Amino acid sequence: MADMNALELDSVRRAYGGVVAVDNVSIDVKRGEFVTLLGPSGSGKTSTLRLIGGFERPDAGAIRINGVRIDHLPAYQRDTTTIFQSGALFPHKTVAENVAYGLRMRGITKADITPRVKQALEIVRLSGYDERYPAQLSGGQKQRVALARSMVVRPAILLFDEPLSALDLSLRLQLRAEIKRLHEEIGFSAIYVTHDQGEAMAMSSRVAVMRGGRIEQIDRPEKVFGEPANEFVYTFIGESCCLKAWIAAGAAADSDGDPIDLRLSNPLGEGAWRIYIRPSRMHLGRADMPNGLKARLDFTEFLGDVHRYHFKAAKLELFVDHPGAVAHKPGDLVDIGWQTADMIAYQ
Amino acid sequence: MSAVPSEMARRRAGLRARLTPWLLMAPALLIAVAFFGLPIAFMARMSFNEHIDQRFYVPGFTFESYAAMLTDQTFRGALLTTMRLAFVSSIVTVVVGYAFAMLVWLKPKRWRLAFIALALCPLLISEISIIFGWWMFFPKNGLLSYALVSSGLITDKVSLMYTEFAAFVGLTYVTLPFCFFILLSIFDGIDKKVLEASADLGAGPLRTFREVLLPLTKGGIAAAFAQSFIWAVGTYATPSALGPDTLWTIGYLIQEQMLGKHNWPRAAAFSIVLTIGVALVMVIVRTLTSKRTALNG
Repeated sequence: MADMNALELDSVRRAYGGVVAVDNVSIDVKRGEFVTLLGPSGSGKTSTLRLIGGFERPDAGAIRINGVRIDHLPAYQRDTTTIFQSGALFPHKTVAENVAYGLRMRGITKADITPRVKQALEIVRLSGYDERYPAQLSGGQKQRVALARSMVVRPAILLFDEPLSALDLSLRLQLRAEIKRLHEEIGFSAIYVTHDQGEAMAMSSRVAVMRGGRIEQIDRPEKVFGEPANEFVYTFIGESCCLKAWIAAGAAADSDGDPIDLRLSNPLGEGAWRIYIRPSRMHLGRADMPNGLKARLDFTEFLGDVHRYHFKAAKLELFVDHPGAVAHKPGDLVDIGWQTADMIAYQ
Repeated sequence: MSAVPSEMARRRAGLRARLTPWLLMAPALLIAVAFFGLPIAFMARMSFNEHIDQRFYVPGFTFESYAAMLTDQTFRGALLTTMRLAFVSSIVTVVVGYAFAMLVWLKPKRWRLAFIALALCPLLISEISIIFGWWMFFPKNGLLSYALVSSGLITDKVSLMYTEFAAFVGLTYVTLPFCFFILLSIFDGIDKKVLEASADLGAGPLRTFREVLLPLTKGGIAAAFAQSFIWAVGTYATPSALGPDTLWTIGYLIQEQMLGKHNWPRAAAFSIVLTIGVALVMVIVRTLTSKRTALNG
């Protein structure tokens, strides 16, 4: 029992009309694991979550919670709770009544409800807000109440449906840290849906990158970032520059056939290549590195920690993030170098 | 010139502060008084005039019209009939309108326009045309009778024309669209996710209705009930055209006093009592439901 998965999705599929939203998705979430579904909009991550929560039924496949199949059950009979993007607090109920709702529905006596509600509000740092109504709370406070309301019933798995995406940046970072803290303290199992890779990287035990209803890769955040399974995962996670180069007889050219001064340590075969490098992994004025490129500086942008240098080489455009003062003028021909391990090429 | 404001300037500032809210309200107030206040005031004044035969009224001041009401069995009967008819038809209207509005709210957006057009239809037709419609629906050779016979539910043709039932159906039909639109606007103000949240936390559909949807639409139900009640109390053509001859509503009595007996003070007095009665019902509905509505929006 101890090593039983909190949640198992087994080849789950769901189509709307002719559009397959969730295509053969299989995920196991271990007890206490925090798994994030990451993907662009329309990738099927929210649909997957709704299938787990019971708001949609799968066309095929099985969903098991603690080893028991639940995909035929309606939402109100499933041991899952969702933190919605809008919070979806009951506007006519006080904070305490909102948090107590799930406990009441489970037939727990009033004497037991009161201390549990109190404790849940303490955990999300909203003690003393019991008698307020949702309209009297800020956006961040509402999401904390939503979190308390979902957590207090101690579900087999907590479902997060982009709970932070409606908040502003500083609040998002703060709540993100708080959810992570709660996960470490309490050890709940969770599925977290987001399109924000920062959230996914920061909070997750594992990240599932989704596209077109399929899981492209599911692994620890460092693995997904460092060893992407394919081009989509690489480009979706983190910023990258793409050099679209035509390579023939060891020389590189752009799509118009104009030559590019590109130097690679491991020569690529003939054909059209897409070479990706992270903007923070390219170095300016380094002709001595194993890989390199000469390009003309177009303009620079100040991003706070770094300057972003936008370059042009023939038809190619790329940008490099470089700390410190701006060392080059627009129009300068600059050497850009990078390590072999920092690049990845797809044909 | 001096730093201390003069007594005069201070008084002027105080006066302006007191006047400002009234000046800001003036346009709305003017419209309310001109279009609603004055006619009612005239009507109230009329109700205290005297009445003699061959004249609509004689200026004067008497409580005769009101005193007559206390002893007038017909009036008391009509008051009860009107209230009962309006009350029952408003309840049915609210129930049907609520179900219809909820359906439109829950259904996908693409159905919405069709439903709304459907609900608008009765408003586009005059009350008289609607009554003619019912005249083809309720009699022995009408649609209803024909439908019931051919579906095998009954063997002999029936007429429901000139029954209290027909009057009641007619009233409900007239008030339904208003009720529907009021309730739909209330439903539209609710985040549908709260229904999912309720199910998510373990509440079945009925429980969700009772715990979430009903409390959130309480204000709308009251407003819809009030609206259709006022309408049903005041409507006179529909119940008298569809109901039995013995169905005397206040609207009918007022019309009879005004046009038949040419007793304007009496008609005005009836109207005043009716207005006060409706106002009382409104106040009761308000006080029963106004708790926390400010917060619920």
